[in-house]
Amino acid sequence: MKASNRVSLLLVAVAVVTINVAHPPQLSAENAASSSGTNSTAAQWSVQVDKVDPGDVALASSFQIAIYESLLDELSKTKRFKQVLRDGDRNAGDVSDLLILKTTVEKYSAGSETRRAVTTVSGATKLTVRSQLCARDGHIILERTVNGNVRFMGSNLRATHNLARNVAKAIKQSSLPEPSQSASHAAIDSNQVVVVELR
Amino acid sequence: MNRRIISTRHTPDLFLLCVILLWCSAAALAQSPGQSANSTTPVNIRGTHLLGFENAKNNANGTLSIQDDALQFQKNGKPTEQVKIASVQDIFLGEQSKQVGGTPMTLGKAAVPFGGGRVVSLFAHKKYDTLALEYVDTNGGMHGAIFQLNKGQAEALRNELVAKGAHVSESASESLKQSNAEVSSESK
Repeated sequence: MKASNRVSLLLVAVAVVTINVAHPPQLSAENAASSSGTNSTAAQWSVQVDKVDPGDVALASSFQIAIYESLLDELSKTKRFKQVLRDGDRNAGDVSDLLILKTTVEKYSAGSETRRAVTTVSGATKLTVRSQLCARDGHIILERTVNGNVRFMGSNLRATHNLARNVAKAIKQSSLPEPSQSASHAAIDSNQVVVVELR
Repeated sequence: MNRRIISTRHTPDLFLLCVILLWCSAAALAQSPGQSANSTTPVNIRGTHLLGFENAKNNANGTLSIQDDALQFQKNGKPTEQVKIASVQDIFLGEQSKQVGGTPMTLGKAAVPFGGGRVVSLFAHKKYDTLALEYVDTNGGMHGAIFQLNKGQAEALRNELVAKGAHVSESASESLKQSNAEVSSESK
């Protein structure tokens, strides 16, 4: 009995050692793969999210707040930025490589949850915003027009969550310039800005 | 014989009178608590935290209360989240119409044959008040939080917050009118 116990213990110990030896190279390979991607440079940027500008659109204040909070949440989830700062944060002055995310509402149709539930095809809540990542001096580094809709299920406010997710996705997929270049030098000419509409 | 007839005529009249008196007193009793409820200021309000508070889950039901100089939200059995009333920069009121019952109700409606679920949807909605807050943290960073309350409670809470020192801009009252218009267009 004792001999069989020892053998089984030995086998377990060998298995543990094998797993420990086998896994670190995989993890390091994953890290290397992720760091060698396009996100490597952008990981050093920090971003400050400005309050949502309703523009000429009559957008309820609760929607503006929901977009702002959802943007902060979704941008943090992308792990693309070193820090995600709020509008008015005094710490932003000390951050060297800072981008400012400006969001302007372009279109909004209120929709109705009841109409969606009754008809399925009508009553969609639609939001379209223009998102701009700017350097400190105001140069636009990235500009995107992004939509966020609720077509079938969910409350009207869910459109803001979908919108923020699309904005974060658009920023994650784009390549940002090196933050080592100062923010003023990193800015791209305005004619190089690409506007992409996500549907 | 005649005496008996007279007595039977009077009994129903007295009974009717008693019933009327009882009804009146019951109505008076029922009315007085409502009046007293209107006169008292709401300090504890049941509501749903839609988003915004750092450590509270989105769409969490709990109690909104004003304790000293702070607005608190507590979910049952969870630690309290609070915001200093003095840090509140703006309060916006709104209204929204929502389908009741959540996902189970939606699935149930989908299972009703011949589109019967759509008819249910037509009546299974309720109007709520929304209370949106803008407040700043110790670093000056702007935060927003949105709560969903039963109809009529948001304005009372807003008045309470203003009385305790919360700032409110003029645009906040305009947003209320706008959201009211939205809800009325939804109900059409």
